[in-house]
Amino acid sequence: MGEKKPAPIIGPDNALFWEGCKGRILVFQRCARCGHVRWPPAIICPRCLSHEVEECRASGRGRIYTYVVYHLAYHEAFREDLPYVVALVDLEEGPRLLSNIVDCDIADLACEIPVECIWDNEGEIPLPKFRPVKRLRS
Amino acid sequence: MHAVGVLEAGLCRAVLITYGHSAYSSDSMWKMLVSRNSDDAVFGHFGATAGYALAARRAMFEFGTGPDTWVHIATGQRKWANLNPRAVMYRQPMADEDYYGSPWVVEPFRRVDNCLVTDGGRAIVVTTLERARDLKHPVVTIMGLGMHNPSAEVTAAHHLAGPTGAKEAAKTAFRMAGIGLDDVDACEIYDCFTYTVEITLQDYGFFGRGEGKDWLADGTIAPGGRMPVNTSGGLLSEAYHMGLTPISEAVMQLMRRCGERQLSPETGMKTYPEIILCSDNGGILQTHACYILRRW
Repeated sequence: MGEKKPAPIIGPDNALFWEGCKGRILVFQRCARCGHVRWPPAIICPRCLSHEVEECRASGRGRIYTYVVYHLAYHEAFREDLPYVVALVDLEEGPRLLSNIVDCDIADLACEIPVECIWDNEGEIPLPKFRPVKRLRS
Repeated sequence: MHAVGVLEAGLCRAVLITYGHSAYSSDSMWKMLVSRNSDDAVFGHFGATAGYALAARRAMFEFGTGPDTWVHIATGQRKWANLNPRAVMYRQPMADEDYYGSPWVVEPFRRVDNCLVTDGGRAIVVTTLERARDLKHPVVTIMGLGMHNPSAEVTAAHHLAGPTGAKEAAKTAFRMAGIGLDDVDACEIYDCFTYTVEITLQDYGFFGRGEGKDWLADGTIAPGGRMPVNTSGGLLSEAYHMGLTPISEAVMQLMRRCGERQLSPETGMKTYPEIILCSDNGGILQTHACYILRRW
């Protein structure tokens, strides 16, 4: 115990994203020429090679592309979270983001179910995590 | 493939390809696996098991695979290991119940879906046919080679449930070899995880999407089966020596140096094997090499 969870390492490439997180906003690079919203961050557009870039604020809505359930602590600080879920989330705007699915019954998870971003304020920088969108019973 | 390049260019006469690691008795493999790899660690994501488990889960969704398919791979390969005194799992049989009783590591993978962590090493020599003919062992030639590397970034990847690089790599290798799947006597497939074997065989064309469970059932890949796969036990049950485990086993089988596990009429084959199909891959299914070997 006592080990802290790893914090984001902020560099020139991912600063836009993590600075956005500080204000609880999901911000990605969008190519100003072709409109491609890219993740991971890069200095040029992987589709059209343009350097022109603008900000894209994402809605936080997306779908689970795939997910796994950790039953083993690879890092001491995550032991108390076991079992926890790591997922690739396809955001509405396009990027596929690796994060956690929280606030859920693990048995109810499936690929392609809709999820929404909620902010985990445990560490110094708020982390974008996701939870299943609650469906209204009809 | 690089070895062939330098030999063809006449830059050297023989290439030694080696791997050695005290992975089990030191903490170096564990350190590598849990070392911080980008900001994924912020979300508690570490190592290769979870990366391949993400791929496997997507494959479960897309074409209905899962533990009921992978059990055939884990138990089939273990039967081969039980014939191989060099295998870490030589004296440990695995029944279906043992597979299903193995604890989750990163679900949908159980511990037995993972390859071993091993002390040891392995090496192969690649040289010219002219030189090889003068050596004491039977000659094994390279009939075909192919590589395909579909993605640098897993988060930008669309290959996790196939087709992986295996598909294009195999096309290239089979075209070079001038043969088809029906000519293959056995396979030595890079098997970091059970699912890796399934997706590789599927992308090579042995069965259609999601048909692996039926194709693998009834001991297809095990001793006596119609398509032996990973006849040393593989990375799952013999030893983890990266891509050297499959290629060295293929060469040894073609040289008929495999003892009790030797593919032959005694292990259910019509004849001794002539052609063996091998694979290697890296990253989270991001790179792939396919090679076809033949007894000369």
